[in-house]
Amino acid sequence: MSDATIFIVDDELAVRDSLSMMLEQERYQVKAFDSGEAFLSAYQEDVLGCAIIDVRMPNMSGLQLQECMAERELLLPIIFLTGHGDIPMSVEAMKSGAADFLTKPVTRDKLLTSIRPALIESDKKLSQAACIQEAKTLLASLTEREHEVMILAINGFPNKEIARRLKISHRTVEIHKSKIMHKTGAINLLDLASIAREGGCRI
Amino acid sequence: MSNPLENLSFLTLFDALAEAVLLIDDSGVVVAANSSAQTMLAYTEKAIIGLSVEQLMPKDYRHHHAGARKQYLKKPEKRSMGDGQNLIALTKAGESLPVDISLSPVKVGEKHYVLTSLHPIDKQIAAETSLKLSQERLLFAKKSTEFGVFDIHLHQQTVLYDALIGQLFGFDEDAVIDYPAFLKRINVVDQVRWESVLENASSLENDNEFQIELRIRNAKNGLQHWLQVAVKVFFKNDLAVSMLGIAQDITEGKLLQQKLNKQRIELDALSKTQVAIQTASAIAHEINQPLTAISAYSEVALYALKAESLDEERLSRSLLGCVEQAQRAGNSLHELMEFLHKGKVERAPVSLNQVVSEAVDMVQHYGYGEFHPTLDLEPGLPEVLANATQLQKVLVNLLSNGVEAVKSTGIPIAKISVKVRTHAHLNMGEVVIKDNGPGLTAEVAQRIFEPFFTTKPNGVGMGLGISRSLVEASGGKLWFDANSRDGAVFHLTLPFVS
Repeated sequence: MSDATIFIVDDELAVRDSLSMMLEQERYQVKAFDSGEAFLSAYQEDVLGCAIIDVRMPNMSGLQLQECMAERELLLPIIFLTGHGDIPMSVEAMKSGAADFLTKPVTRDKLLTSIRPALIESDKKLSQAACIQEAKTLLASLTEREHEVMILAINGFPNKEIARRLKISHRTVEIHKSKIMHKTGAINLLDLASIAREGGCRI
Repeated sequence: MSNPLENLSFLTLFDALAEAVLLIDDSGVVVAANSSAQTMLAYTEKAIIGLSVEQLMPKDYRHHHAGARKQYLKKPEKRSMGDGQNLIALTKAGESLPVDISLSPVKVGEKHYVLTSLHPIDKQIAAETSLKLSQERLLFAKKSTEFGVFDIHLHQQTVLYDALIGQLFGFDEDAVIDYPAFLKRINVVDQVRWESVLENASSLENDNEFQIELRIRNAKNGLQHWLQVAVKVFFKNDLAVSMLGIAQDITEGKLLQQKLNKQRIELDALSKTQVAIQTASAIAHEINQPLTAISAYSEVALYALKAESLDEERLSRSLLGCVEQAQRAGNSLHELMEFLHKGKVERAPVSLNQVVSEAVDMVQHYGYGEFHPTLDLEPGLPEVLANATQLQKVLVNLLSNGVEAVKSTGIPIAKISVKVRTHAHLNMGEVVIKDNGPGLTAEVAQRIFEPFFTTKPNGVGMGLGISRSLVEASGGKLWFDANSRDGAVFHLTLPFVS
């Protein structure tokens, strides 16, 4: 995944510099920031990658940065770097969804071993987010009546029952259903159900 | 043979009496005074006759006397005046004379007179009377303030004591005991202090009174009491012969003070640990950041070396980074150490004997745990140059380490011997501290002065290292005697004031 970007957030220039060089040698794109604030203002849209964040920084700490990222619903996985003796803090960070927690000084090997699964997770989260976005777009193209018919259909009601409930003719139901399948590109009812779920419909 | 007095006139007899006699009439006026009376009261005959008798006594008595005189006339009889009270006659110059007075009624015709004879009280008797009074006062004071009194006779080597002292020491009440048996009840460390102040006060050139706090152990129930003792040494022919001691039990106050001290020590230890943790974590942070960079730079360099085509640019940049970061770490450390050593230490002449006694005392009675100390001081040791507070901390640290070490091995009573002497070769003051524990293993002995090395579960491991640097800063040395076969032995030297 050489198109992945690694974001380094550390107030120490030498740490940023040395880690950047190391990761560039691994052919990653590297962007380094000297504070959480600088990172947040630069990072607008989620990309494939992960963030390596120092826990102890002046002003915004690593854990506060994690909170801000969660509020903005950013998907970027976080690997924390810390000095010794921050075990309670690491527990808290992992509970809040950090990908890993490494102690300084960190070896190349350990860092890369943590980065790889973080990137796989990033990729997975991004494609999930893409699927959801696509499903939402498809569902948005349905009319209100088509939406009603879809919900009843994926809940397993036969056309006759749908017609009775919506007080429309059997034939009209059939027309709606064929339009729904066409608009969403669903192959069958099962496929339609999964699109509806991804798109956030209450089934 | 006829009585020769028959031819003697009353006046001649009256005037010849050695006893001072006044003749007082029934209105209290002096009508005659013999020559003895005139001499005694320093009046001429002319001056005394016609005086009211009340004028011959102190003002305070006059009113009462006038009443008593009238009573007497109702029932005149031969008796002494004042029911054994101390009576005072006033001379013409206003001086008080202690006297006994006897009264005899005389009737001449229809008129009543009182023949009053005055007998001066011996000065010694007067002194005894006043001593008795002051003794009674002392007794009352003693009773109401709970002071005990003891009297040490140095020649006989005996101690007389009162009931309260008997009670406190656990002796039979109101009796005598040998001085050595008395001394034995006093705490070992206090004995050393007691004998040293006593020696000082037994010299005529010095102050012969002193105050001292002593711990004594009751012979009967084994309980310890704290006594505040005031002592005065008495001399005969320039030799100290006896000592009077007044003692008050101050145990309750001392116990409270001890409790407070213990809490203070615990708090001290707690904040010391906090300081150590803070310092260590500051050091860790200062060092860890450059280490992180050095580690990463080094790996970048290694990778650059192994790359298919030598990546010279990255190689030199990362190596340069390593050098810079290593320098930076060193500088941070120097700055930090400088900051920690900033406080300048004042040194002054200090008596090793005194500081050692105080340190032993602190460890034994202020929350570090009881132990049996043996003190061996060198009298007349010259003063050393040191900071007394720091020196005391170092000694307390060494002693309490010893106590803890011995106790942790299950030996029930820690015995620590402390010797103060002149180190012959170095010509320095030396303190040797030895415990009755198992000593140190070779491995521990090698590392005990290292920072953060500890064998205690909650120890920080800074004590001995800091102690050594404090002693060295005063020009002294602190070392462990690796050749000792029984118990751990520490030596501490400090230069004499010169």
